[in-house]
Amino acid sequence: MSGPRTLARSVSSTGLAGLLSLFAVVPLLWVLTTSLRTKPEILRNPLGLPTGLNWQNYSEAWTNGNFSQYFINSLVVVIPTVAGVLFLSLLAAYAFALYTFPMKRTLFIVLLFGMTVPVGILIIPLYYQMLGLGLLDSLWAIILPQLALGIPISTLLLRTFIAELPRDIVDAARLDGCGSMRLLWRVVFPLSRSALITLVILQFMWIWNQFLLPVVLIHDRSARTLPTALSAFLGRYGTDTHLLMAGAAISFLPVVIIFVIFQRQFIKGISAGALGSA
Amino acid sequence: MPAFAVYAAFFLWPTWQMVRLSFFHWDGVTVGTGAGVENYTRMAADPLFATALTNTALWTAAAIVLPVIVGLGLAILLSRAPIFGTTLFRTLFFLPQVLSSVVVAVLWRWIYNPSFGALNTTLEALGLGFLAQGWLGSTSLALPALFLAWSWTHYGFVMVVFMAAIDDIDETYFDAAAVDGANMWQQIRHVLVPAIRGPMTTVVLITAIAAFQVFDLVYLLTNGGPARSTSVLAHFMFEAAFHFRKVGYGATLGVALMVMILAISLILIRVRRGFEEEAT
Repeated sequence: MSGPRTLARSVSSTGLAGLLSLFAVVPLLWVLTTSLRTKPEILRNPLGLPTGLNWQNYSEAWTNGNFSQYFINSLVVVIPTVAGVLFLSLLAAYAFALYTFPMKRTLFIVLLFGMTVPVGILIIPLYYQMLGLGLLDSLWAIILPQLALGIPISTLLLRTFIAELPRDIVDAARLDGCGSMRLLWRVVFPLSRSALITLVILQFMWIWNQFLLPVVLIHDRSARTLPTALSAFLGRYGTDTHLLMAGAAISFLPVVIIFVIFQRQFIKGISAGALGSA
Repeated sequence: MPAFAVYAAFFLWPTWQMVRLSFFHWDGVTVGTGAGVENYTRMAADPLFATALTNTALWTAAAIVLPVIVGLGLAILLSRAPIFGTTLFRTLFFLPQVLSSVVVAVLWRWIYNPSFGALNTTLEALGLGFLAQGWLGSTSLALPALFLAWSWTHYGFVMVVFMAAIDDIDETYFDAAAVDGANMWQQIRHVLVPAIRGPMTTVVLITAIAAFQVFDLVYLLTNGGPARSTSVLAHFMFEAAFHFRKVGYGATLGVALMVMILAISLILIRVRRGFEEEAT
């Protein structure tokens, strides 16, 4: 194949990819540009570009729209849940990968069952469980089930990862008289760092975006997370597009930024989870 | 093990409760009464259940076609075509997947807005103004319109899985095919597609499971309407329990949904094992 022809093919393929990627990107850009326009501007021409940078929309959504509170609620849910899921899954995965214990196989199958049942299906019993525990309207109501639902997939991925660690290292540490907890924290934990990072990002994204649980389990406005706050905004301020868009941007920018920074681990995690060794 | 304690308390326990509730009539407040299998016979005869089941089945059938083909096409384009900035494009194409359903709903409500939405405006600009309409308000178009929005957030997953699978194919197969005079299409058909059959089953079934439990966009954009034309199983279950206060019946729908999803998963595991045996 001659040089210029290869170059022409590269340019046209890249052009095609660029054109197609507009479908993915333009709607998001529109949210960002609209979030910087004033209300009269939007009413005059809904699809136009901003004439100036109208940052007041953000401060209005942040303070008057209470998005600061919702943002903090989302963080209060995400951080302990992700940390808890990883801690509990690491313990379980460690046991599954390196030890034998009674009922190991049965427990593992019970855990696999959890991967096939999506959280939404359990919303009815969860509602009455939280009602019974007096946790409705508390952030615990969405932390606890997500903790439980994050465990199966995380344990599975970590188990595969730990089982594939070089056995020599583990055996050597044991010979040196390393107890099981020390082995976990001094040897297995540092070696599993890359798998843990991938899981942090995946879990962060799922929990940050979770919608059904807070819709059903939280009615108190002050305990809303970003997705439910935004959906309430969608209903109430149907005409305040400028504020709606600023709110939308506040809720998606953190995930988009984290995704762009960690996209390599994130995509690796997704494809490993799907193609995995199950 | 602590992981199992949490898992049992907030996953296994509610699952068991749901199965138990499905054998009761309960409004969620007063004492429930035993119902035997009445909820199940009622479900079998319920025309609203039939509507929701049909819509869910249609959605699932379309889901294993449209996002899968778009994702496969993009994966081939990004992995096999000589492109500058593959990683950049992969990131861009994947972006819709990381958005929360509410952001997606905000976006597509704007796209479908009858008076100033992007879709109608574009149609008018192209001289196709006669096609412009209230997409989400039409009983025949609302379901496909929702499905398109959902597909927009799912092809990214398909794409990255296929890209990983395509990268695993031994390059010499393509070279051998090229030496034999196979053009690009023939290489894709005879080398690439057979090589990713295993991942393809996985992708199809994961997509099917996601499609089967679709809820968020329906709830946010149409709430099952107009005239129940976008009613799907997960949404019907939610309605039954929290709007009509038929908690036992809602739980029955939940059990049915769980059994169907479990069936899809078992097929996934079976088929995947078949491919693995074939490969070894």
